[in-house]
Amino acid sequence: MSAAGVRIATARPAGHRAVPLLVEPALDHYPEYARFLAVAFGLDADPFGPAGLLEVDGRPYELTFLGRSGRPFPCGVELAALVPGLEPLDEATADADLWAILEWLTTGVGAPWSVEALRTTGRIYRVPMTPEA
Amino acid sequence: MPGVARTIADLGPHVAARYPYTSRFTTVNGRRMHYVDEGPPDAPPVLLLHGNPTWGYLWRDTIPPLLQAGFRVIVPDQIGLGLSEHPHVAAAHSIEQHAANLVALVDRLDLRGLVVACHDWGGPTGLGMVLTRAERVAAVAIMSTWAWRSPSAEFHRRISPWRVMHAPLVGPYVLGRHGGMPGRGIYLSVVDRERYQADGLAAYEAVVPDADDRRLTWLWPRAIPIGEPTDTTSEYFAWLEEGVRPLRLPATLIWGEQDDVFAIDPFLDTWRRWWPHAEGPHLVTGRHFLQEDSGAEIGTILAAFAGQVRS
Repeated sequence: MSAAGVRIATARPAGHRAVPLLVEPALDHYPEYARFLAVAFGLDADPFGPAGLLEVDGRPYELTFLGRSGRPFPCGVELAALVPGLEPLDEATADADLWAILEWLTTGVGAPWSVEALRTTGRIYRVPMTPEA
Repeated sequence: MPGVARTIADLGPHVAARYPYTSRFTTVNGRRMHYVDEGPPDAPPVLLLHGNPTWGYLWRDTIPPLLQAGFRVIVPDQIGLGLSEHPHVAAAHSIEQHAANLVALVDRLDLRGLVVACHDWGGPTGLGMVLTRAERVAAVAIMSTWAWRSPSAEFHRRISPWRVMHAPLVGPYVLGRHGGMPGRGIYLSVVDRERYQADGLAAYEAVVPDADDRRLTWLWPRAIPIGEPTDTTSEYFAWLEEGVRPLRLPATLIWGEQDDVFAIDPFLDTWRRWWPHAEGPHLVTGRHFLQEDSGAEIGTILAAFAGQVRS
């Protein structure tokens, strides 16, 4: 799975529940990540609007941005899969989609971060979703 | 699926045979801390402090020579790792909190005349305790650790794998969901990888079975200063530098000859400059997790050093 299938969505599908997958409490550790997300989801203009939405090959994901007193917004983000009704999460697909989202994020943040560096790191740590070199 | 491990015995015979000690618990700053406390209660105490992503088990081969030499040996699991509580609140994992947890432990056990052995994050946390409770500490042993903002390691400044590994959302994925630290992280930083896979790996993975348990494994790497304006711990390390550099407590330096994470140059060399009075350095077979390759030899070195301090 690559970032190619990832796109920003605008409408949250009805009847879906959020299944938490990743919680990032410290986006501001490398603030370029927070900046990219702020621009991509228009957070400067509307920090208290609805959650951000992504689709990976049509499968919906939700990003809930977190604020914390005394720290720049967004200081964190929760990433959840949107799953219809009470259907179980397809865990393998979600894991692959998360990798695609990380590649999309890394591409958006830009240098010195790169998808190649992400993939190299994934291979070193034997992350199953990492594409072969 | 095994239940959640609360004690060493819960981890099964493989771990219990290699770490045959009684699980003890106390609370520090409101959190449950696991530790072992072996040897005569009135014997001179040695405190062994681990870092990321290990737990007291790291010291399993180091403990017997110290016990045989007549010392009391105390080995806590840092809050967030091992059999201690694993808080999910990020604020529980500030470097100040972790150092304060060790202050609380030595107060709670009323330890005096301590020899403190620091490895990895056991250094910045343990040395913070040493500065705060200097009256309780007799000597310090330093292994593959640091106490300053600069020099940082070339390894820690690299984008890949170090900075990418714990980058926003990547850290929770690679090190959280996929447990990269106890698995590949330690494996790549030992010399005898076959032995590590046979003796160590399962014990490190068993105590952080779920993604949320591994939070500290990706939060701690972010706290290593790398000379960037976004370093989050500069204030703490400035305080630590100021206090640690002029310390003239008896000290010993023990390093892995093959350490490429906290490489001899600049890390051991900086300690030698800061503490010219320190004995050693004792170079042993080992990379960053030198106890995995030379644990018993380190125990013998520590026992001799602690014995000199007593005499």
